[in-house]
Amino acid sequence: MTPSHEIETRLRETAEQLLREKRVDLFLGYEKASLPFRTTPLFLTCPQEVERLAWNPFCAANLAVYLPRLFKAPADARQAKDAPPPPTVGVVLKGCDTRSVVALIQERQVPRDKLVLVGVACPGMVDRRKAERALGEHVALGAGEDAQGNVHAVVEDGTEVALPREQILASACLECRSPTPSIHDALLGEPVEAKDPQAARRQTAEFGAKALAARWAHLRQTLSKCIRCNACRQACPMCYCKECLLDQTRPRWLGAGTDISDVTIYHLVRACHMAGRCTECGACVRACPMGIDTRLLVRKLNQEVEDLYGYRPGEAIDATPPLSAFAMDDPQDFLTEP
Amino acid sequence: MSQTQTVQEAAPGKEWEPKIVAFLCNWCSYAGADLAGVSRIQYPHNVRVIRVPCSGRINPAFLLRALQNGADGVLVSGCHPGDCHYITGNLVARRKFALLKELVQYAGIEPQRVQFSWVSASEGGRFAGIVEKVVEEVRKLGPNQKLVKTL
Amino acid sequence: MTEKTIAHTDLETFLDRLRAAGVVYAPAEDEAGDVALTEVSPTEPVVLEYSNFHLSPKGFFLPQNQTLLCFKDGKAAEPSPPDQETFLFGVRPCDARALLALDQVFLDGEQSDPYYARLRATTTVIALACTRPMPSCFCTSVGGGPGDGAGADILAVGLEADLLLRAQSPKGEDLLSSVADLLADVPCGAVERAEERVRVAEEQIAPVRVDNSAQRLRDAYDSPLWEAASQKCLACGTCSFLCPTCHCFDITDEARGSRGRRVRTWDCCAYPLFTLHASGHNPRPTPKERWRQRIMHKFRYAVENLDRLFCVGCGRCIRNCPVSMDLRSVLKEVGA
Repeated sequence: MTPSHEIETRLRETAEQLLREKRVDLFLGYEKASLPFRTTPLFLTCPQEVERLAWNPFCAANLAVYLPRLFKAPADARQAKDAPPPPTVGVVLKGCDTRSVVALIQERQVPRDKLVLVGVACPGMVDRRKAERALGEHVALGAGEDAQGNVHAVVEDGTEVALPREQILASACLECRSPTPSIHDALLGEPVEAKDPQAARRQTAEFGAKALAARWAHLRQTLSKCIRCNACRQACPMCYCKECLLDQTRPRWLGAGTDISDVTIYHLVRACHMAGRCTECGACVRACPMGIDTRLLVRKLNQEVEDLYGYRPGEAIDATPPLSAFAMDDPQDFLTEP
Repeated sequence: MSQTQTVQEAAPGKEWEPKIVAFLCNWCSYAGADLAGVSRIQYPHNVRVIRVPCSGRINPAFLLRALQNGADGVLVSGCHPGDCHYITGNLVARRKFALLKELVQYAGIEPQRVQFSWVSASEGGRFAGIVEKVVEEVRKLGPNQKLVKTL
Repeated sequence: MTEKTIAHTDLETFLDRLRAAGVVYAPAEDEAGDVALTEVSPTEPVVLEYSNFHLSPKGFFLPQNQTLLCFKDGKAAEPSPPDQETFLFGVRPCDARALLALDQVFLDGEQSDPYYARLRATTTVIALACTRPMPSCFCTSVGGGPGDGAGADILAVGLEADLLLRAQSPKGEDLLSSVADLLADVPCGAVERAEERVRVAEEQIAPVRVDNSAQRLRDAYDSPLWEAASQKCLACGTCSFLCPTCHCFDITDEARGSRGRRVRTWDCCAYPLFTLHASGHNPRPTPKERWRQRIMHKFRYAVENLDRLFCVGCGRCIRNCPVSMDLRSVLKEVGA
């Protein structure tokens, strides 16, 4: 695993060159946040400020979520006349983030030729909630990384607490099968192998092995915490609809509140809309203020898409998304016959 | 913290009968259902038909909403693959339905509550047979309690 | 203001007395291991060592989901509210103070909100002073403090062997009288010790520049800082939903045929659809206008209209923002 500070140095050099040579108008990366275990997205336009760019175990956010809005088409012909040309954007992308960009390119939300993809082979990112919980009674004032990639936190009484990276990795990272970006214009860091490619399958098999009633009970219990804030949807790069079906008022498909029936259908419909598109980056889990495992349902659907149609989202730019395509011999054993 | 109240509905005096909402594509399945009627083929009255232009029009949200509104089961029926009036609508829909069926089951909802079929315009008897099967399977499951929203 | 002490060992008995009068919510560990206001049973241990709850207590007064009325066949009826007293024990001073802001919005004379008013009247808030501020706390900069009792009915400060209880309202006075047999007079030096604990907590809180915010924000309305600061916002709604003073809501009718209910739910000004007009025009079309509005509402409009900052420095927005936006840095930049 390439040490983070080496990647950080190369990242700053790459960004500086891209901005100085005007090969990008904007460079999207991460910078230090005001609280430990976190970074915050950085929208950089000035090559002199590249020292702000950071690369560390807390670069968890999926920056692909910002891309559709940067390339939004003008609303009408009149606006199109005055609209500036779309920018060229450089962006730091981990393996999962890259797959989101590929999916966005497939769905014509971002143009490949206006993107400079700076890929970083990713060893997995820290879940700040797991880290905070691992500290127990203590409150972290700062956190950093050692040479082995483990995290060290300085707590309120000045002492240092070591947090082995494996124990505080995000659950999406523990299941990651694509840590190394598949497409890139520059790749930083030695390629990383997936640690446990069968992890996701084990999760769905374990859940699927429960009895029907137990699955329903588990789902309801998980979803009962949902406050319908829509953070999962907003954080997802693939949810870029101007008006979500589930927000529509004419007609009103779904109630707005926390009635458990509405909450359940919200998550079921989101899962349907994500099938074959979700790259399991975990942005939804990270955004959820209530700590719900929002990947529970989509993980299963993604596996079904892989098994039934041989498709994995975000791998090939010129592939047709699976729900816009079909084969004459698609399986249909689910049908009802008289 | 929720403070929703429910509007109580007077309990019906009759025995429970399953309510099935059937989304039928205009060109094949709806015509097939029509043929069943014209041919005086008897089939259970539990089905309420919603006509759509094509099975490809169906958004999973429609089916879930039907269940939320009190349907005990939903049936979606379209043209046989290769016969779609819009050429490819049912072929794309076939993938959506396969996934929805898996999702519903994985989530812990009885998979028999969400059913799909192909019925052509000339298959009045087939339509009746499918409706009978769906109604019986849902009857065995009992009223839908999982997704229904009580107002 | 009555001041008494209660021994830690008598706390359970005190809560039992409250249970006899209504529903008691006290801090307890939930399944995730976080401390939250839960309806603790008599055998469940109450936790007194925590920073703050994940969710603010505003849901007890302005629920996320509230039925305003039910209708059937052309007749409407308000739901019969549960006639119960609620006791919230362990609310932090910042969250208690936030209730004063909500009171100004919802208990506005002729335009009083009866749903809020009813819940406020039947709920007793017992605040517990803080000893462990977090790096994200800044209550002291917005008029509050770890030992501030404003908005609560009783303020409790933990000492070695007991809790100092200070009534903050007539309701608090009545409650203390009703459990007088469990209370003792304040021993010599206890108040000073309590003040010392609060002072130690205050010192751990880094100051944030909020002075003259209304004027500075007025001058900075057209500043380019809003564009830069708002670029990261995902419009996820977390900040508004967790904020103890945010109170915007939506009202929708849920109907089936001639039957249904009218429901109030939380809304968020960061949502793109929040100010979308029926005509299609949106006066706050981009994250820039929405983020600016959020800061303006809390630190300028509320000050100008209601003479109060609509931020209590609880830090939830900073801790929970998925992209770690921090409004403290915006406040620093404004008028710098």
